[in-house]
Amino acid sequence: MIGLVKAELRKLFTTRLWWIMLIVMVVLVGVNLAFIIAFAGVSQNGGPALPERDTMEWAQVAWSVGSSGGIFVMILGVVMITSEYRYQTVTGTFLTTPRRERVIAAKLITGLLIGLLFALVILVFEAATVVPTVLLSGGEFSLAETRIPQVSVGILASLALYGLFGIGLGALVRNQIAGIVGAVVWAYVIESIFTAIPALHSVGKWLPGGAAQSLMSIDIDTGLGRPEWLPAWGGALVLVAYGLLFAVVASATTVRRDIT
Amino acid sequence: MTAIEIRDLAKSFGSVKAVDGVSFTVEAGSVTGYLGPNGAGKTTTLRSLLGLVTPDSGEALVDGRRYVTLPQPVSEVGAVLEATSFHPGRTALDHLRILCVAAGLPDQRAGESLEMVGLADVAGKRVGGFSLGMRQRLALSSALLGRPKIFILDEPANGLDPAGIEWLRGFLRHLAHDQGAAVLVSSHVLAEVEQTVDNVVIIAKGRLVRQGTLKELITNGDTAIRVRASNAADLAPALEAAGAAVERVEDGLLRVRGIDAEAVGQIALDRRVVLTEVTQERSDLQKVFLELTGER
Ligand SMILES: Nc1ncnc2c1ncn2[C@@H]1O[C@H](COP(=O)(O)OP(=O)(O)O)[C@@H](O)[C@H]1O
Ligand SMILES: [Mg+2]
Repeated sequence: MIGLVKAELRKLFTTRLWWIMLIVMVVLVGVNLAFIIAFAGVSQNGGPALPERDTMEWAQVAWSVGSSGGIFVMILGVVMITSEYRYQTVTGTFLTTPRRERVIAAKLITGLLIGLLFALVILVFEAATVVPTVLLSGGEFSLAETRIPQVSVGILASLALYGLFGIGLGALVRNQIAGIVGAVVWAYVIESIFTAIPALHSVGKWLPGGAAQSLMSIDIDTGLGRPEWLPAWGGALVLVAYGLLFAVVASATTVRRDIT
Repeated sequence: MTAIEIRDLAKSFGSVKAVDGVSFTVEAGSVTGYLGPNGAGKTTTLRSLLGLVTPDSGEALVDGRRYVTLPQPVSEVGAVLEATSFHPGRTALDHLRILCVAAGLPDQRAGESLEMVGLADVAGKRVGGFSLGMRQRLALSSALLGRPKIFILDEPANGLDPAGIEWLRGFLRHLAHDQGAAVLVSSHVLAEVEQTVDNVVIIAKGRLVRQGTLKELITNGDTAIRVRASNAADLAPALEAAGAAVERVEDGLLRVRGIDAEAVGQIALDRRVVLTEVTQERSDLQKVFLELTGER
């Protein structure tokens, strides 16, 4: 299995997509951070304001931006499996490893690893921007009173699980465009609806996005009431369950199909 | 042991019977051509053999076992399926290194295998820029990674230029005759493989139509003898009397079917006719092939 995971990592690192995704992700996190830096302490029409830049509350809010990287890992996971069908490399893959469920298992593990790698990059990037911002604004950076460690663990866990989720989704749909569009629509449209409308929270917290939010265990008041998330461990279980469910269903259906 | 064994293999796609009760075997040390027109069911057979397609019934075995149960498939069977199965953005060497690590083979096999097919110069180039012929060679090199003793190749000559085809012929003969490998190679052009194969299996519309050695195939059937004689007009009725079918091609030239050259000579001697030419017409392989597959 180690050889198969290594092979999957090689597949990823010998094509360009992974670093394009990494750069786009860092840019997006950077843009989000720029807004949070710019609007720190500014109150909008008497609405809830972001905390001041020199406070650790602000640092915590800024830190949680990293969770937005999940979609990129999910897309990468989808592509890791759908590109095999698109370029028919799946033929060589299954010739080398005819027990197909082993290939899927190796891809799931690789999806987790890639999620962790991307999360680490985000955390380093956040440390390199948020810490200096607090210090330059005259504040003092001390982790002790914040939930930044939990948020960091949450980012690591949610990105890793999004990788798993993407692999499961990709195995199920096989078609690259359908998989990516599905992932984006799901993350930005369907999930947002379920998290933005309080009446739907009871469902939304069970969806992958809601589950990922619970990993961050941070309350962000959207102005429509505080969403009730699952406990962090519950969120992790939900994400694992989605990824594995997709992978198992896929292994029993689409993955078994004839390769012609 | 029989290297490749196909027994009563059948596979339908919807209402299309792609393969319909095909059986044949391939022994070590020989090249078998698996021939048939496009759509005959060659690819489906080979993919069933490799566990990529699940047959409806029958068996397809390598070394007496199903491919998917082989512990080290790449080291037992080398397969070349289609030349398009590469990620265009990946280099040739990277493509092979991925297969090496997945199969538990040492990485240096990648470079060695590229050298064996003459692609060492372009090892670091992206496959997207490769010609069809280069892709075929790359596919062949991936089949060589595990140094297997059984080769299964689906239309490997597609896209090769004449020099490439010549090279491929030599390579396949070398694998089978020098290294003792069992080689099964499909083609829809008999001429492509006729100088390479020892045995032929011909399939059309999913059904086996002929199987045997290449020699049997080309001498079997209704071959004619060209006879040139000083007094052909005299000879012809005598041949016909002996049961031959005689075609008068031109003055002094006959095409004779139904009796052999020795009988022609004997009759000519009896009639005191001087023969100036007796030639066994070699059957046109492509014609035989088209006749057999009903594509004429
Ligand atoms: N995936 C598929 N779905 C439907 N029909 C198929 C599929 N693969 C092959 N066929 C059909 O099966 C028949 C045999 O095809 P194939 O094995 O590719 O023949 P060959 O390789 O000899 O050209 C053809 O009629 C082809 O159209
Ligand atoms: Mg074919």
